[in-house]
Amino acid sequence: MNEHPLIQIQNLTKSYGDKLVLKGLSLDIYPGQVIGYIGPNGAGKSTTVKILTGLIPDFEGEVIVDGIRMADDPLAIKRLIGYVPENAEIYDVLTPMEYLDFIGKLYGMEEGLLHQRAGKLLSAFGLGTNGDDRMDTFSKGMKQKVLLISGIIHNPKIIILDEPLSGLDANAVIMIKELIMRLSQEGKTIFYCSHMMDVVEKVSDRILLINKGEIIADGTFESLKQNHSDTLERIFSKLTGREDSSTETDAIINAFD
Amino acid sequence: MLLILLSTDKLFLRLVSLFYPVLAKTGVDTVQLDEILRVKLLMDNRRPKTLFAAKRNSQNKNAQSPWMISFLQILMGFFIGLVLTLNQMPYVGQTYYFIIFMVLMALTLISDFTTVLVDTRDQFILLPRPINDRTVAVSRILHISIYVLRLALLQGLPALVIVGFVDGILAVPIFFIQLLEATFLSIFLVNIVYLLLMRSVSPQKFKDVISYFQIGFSVLIFASYYLLPRLINVSVLGNINLLSHWWAYTLPPVWIAAMNEALIHTSRANYITILLATLGFTVPILGLWLVAKVLAPGFNRRLSVIATSDGNSNTTGQVKKAGKFNLIEKMSNVVASDPVENAGFRITWKLAARTREFKMKVYPAFAYVPIYFLYFALNGKGDSLSDRWEKLQHGHTYVFLIYLCTFILSSMLMHISMSEKYKSAWVYYALPIGEPGKILSGMYKAIICLYFLPYCLVLSIGIIAIWGPAAINDIILAFLISLIYGILMALFMVKGLPFSNPVVAKQGGGKMVTSLLILGFIGAIGFGHYMLMRWEMAVWLAIIPALLLNWIMFRSYKRRSWDDVELSDI
Repeated sequence: MNEHPLIQIQNLTKSYGDKLVLKGLSLDIYPGQVIGYIGPNGAGKSTTVKILTGLIPDFEGEVIVDGIRMADDPLAIKRLIGYVPENAEIYDVLTPMEYLDFIGKLYGMEEGLLHQRAGKLLSAFGLGTNGDDRMDTFSKGMKQKVLLISGIIHNPKIIILDEPLSGLDANAVIMIKELIMRLSQEGKTIFYCSHMMDVVEKVSDRILLINKGEIIADGTFESLKQNHSDTLERIFSKLTGREDSSTETDAIINAFD
Repeated sequence: MLLILLSTDKLFLRLVSLFYPVLAKTGVDTVQLDEILRVKLLMDNRRPKTLFAAKRNSQNKNAQSPWMISFLQILMGFFIGLVLTLNQMPYVGQTYYFIIFMVLMALTLISDFTTVLVDTRDQFILLPRPINDRTVAVSRILHISIYVLRLALLQGLPALVIVGFVDGILAVPIFFIQLLEATFLSIFLVNIVYLLLMRSVSPQKFKDVISYFQIGFSVLIFASYYLLPRLINVSVLGNINLLSHWWAYTLPPVWIAAMNEALIHTSRANYITILLATLGFTVPILGLWLVAKVLAPGFNRRLSVIATSDGNSNTTGQVKKAGKFNLIEKMSNVVASDPVENAGFRITWKLAARTREFKMKVYPAFAYVPIYFLYFALNGKGDSLSDRWEKLQHGHTYVFLIYLCTFILSSMLMHISMSEKYKSAWVYYALPIGEPGKILSGMYKAIICLYFLPYCLVLSIGIIAIWGPAAINDIILAFLISLIYGILMALFMVKGLPFSNPVVAKQGGGKMVTSLLILGFIGAIGFGHYMLMRWEMAVWLAIIPALLLNWIMFRSYKRRSWDDVELSDI
């Protein structure tokens, strides 16, 4: 593993009004790592991702990617990152080819290479015949695939995936899981946010658990297992304060009496 | 034809590209800029326009083709251009023309372009890419400008020709510049309106305010179409000299019209005209500079606030409504006591009051009723306006006003079962509901209580104020008959549960006939009512069978089964 961290986050703090969302987050991510980033709703997960991708420019603390400070040159950082947002926002009156052409050129890609790569990626994702259909007729899974492609089309060093499997069928899920491992073998750093514990457990070599704006667990799945519990799901619920879910279910059952 | 339009896009892009070297010096990435503009224009062409929303629902998608819209715009431009021929003096005619032109331009900008400006998707698609802020800001300004200029040129084209006929060939190039100046000024003014709005209302409210603008816009067009010819004699308009009033000189359209006067009719122009013309030339350019330099940065920051405020931060506003909520709950319990009916009542009440798209479609109808009434009431020929008003007050036409309200009722019933989010209606199908008629009857009651009854009450107060308390019995009878009409409409025309069907094309001919039959039937009853009005007592007596009929029909409406309800694919 490389000595120099690719992403350094130091004492990252962010608040909305008087509500503190991130409370001095610090972490180092090394090249080639697959980070599984998990946490309950409202823990500050997507805020971290939005800061890392430059969507939220005002924050306190230090974000350094590949030696570049976010505050100094966000554009240079954005060039290194491929981002697949969770809420499937896409210009759906365009066709996949048009959309990818657009995105690729925003990254400054040369047209010949871009079209060739977009075509190849579309057919690899099983959308080869849909390349010129407008996306407003697409299913959620098909749009998600286009979003995934648009996140990796410029061959970024860092790939940030926010709940990338939503809407995908089982075969596509298997494919993406394999893809994540292959990409990491190629030296890509992957930041994977999800609520699907079984997937996170399998794909990530380092798991970060965030709760109430703080990282409360950091390590490989194996190390987390030793200290806490045997499945990621249990570890998750134990660490996020839902140790005794049976009292909750009791309360639910009792509500019918 | 489509090609022509697409090529105008290319033309504009090429035109814009002339400025790229300059823009590049200020730090704009012109390759990215070109790309963003190209895609945005492409998307504009594929997006349906709000201005012609009435036509959007019609049968085929081809009616929405860019070419069709361009044609409509040119046609509209032609009609406005006719204003130029009204007055002997081009100065006055042009003033009127530019007033209309600028008002229309500003309203179109606000109503049609807000969705583009506040495109939340940009937040996720453009922002993560390596694009600097200036490029995004400039692309937004240029996007608006291209859109607006195309609109301006399409609308101005006929006027350009007309000016040539009215004022000689020399006036044409000047008129072209005038059009551009008027457009710049409209952009400037709209920008100021936006900024004021953004500063004074919350981001969530902002979209609501904009949709009220759109409603107001469609009402304005409707009203001016029906009422202006009745109220104003066109030939009189030609002779009114707006410019004889000193305050007219503060109106920007006058400045722009003054350019023609100062340059073409130099002999007539005095120093004031020349001063105004100078204003007309410099102010728009100054305004545009102000927009680009001073207003745009703050504008973009505010816009991104609107775009990102996806319910992230506002939890405070919802707590305090509890008191009002209670009143609605009590009312619903009284009006619809059956649990299922109650559910139907409350869901319709809340969705109808909160769904923006429903309000957009139905609210204009509230304004249409008085406009229609005035249109028919003032229809007499020859008499002066005050004579007609006198006649109106002594007649019995007020019944007509209540009957016109059925227009609102049918408009609401037509839209109540449609929603863009119709898929949420799966609950109706998934839950064990034996009699969907109960939901329907709850829905009907909610519409009446929420909109129809309050509206009629307001109208009634107005009627009693003008025609006196003798009108009360007529109002009650007309209201009951309107309700019968409503149930008939609901029985035969509305086949879906509230907000459960996708927004689709209007129904076929068979339904049209039914709808006309119902309308004819009610028309006949209404006419009977009008005949009956001579005998006050008879009207009071007629209320009893009307009540009875309402009750019987409502009972059968309540018993509608699943077979009568149109299901949509979920």
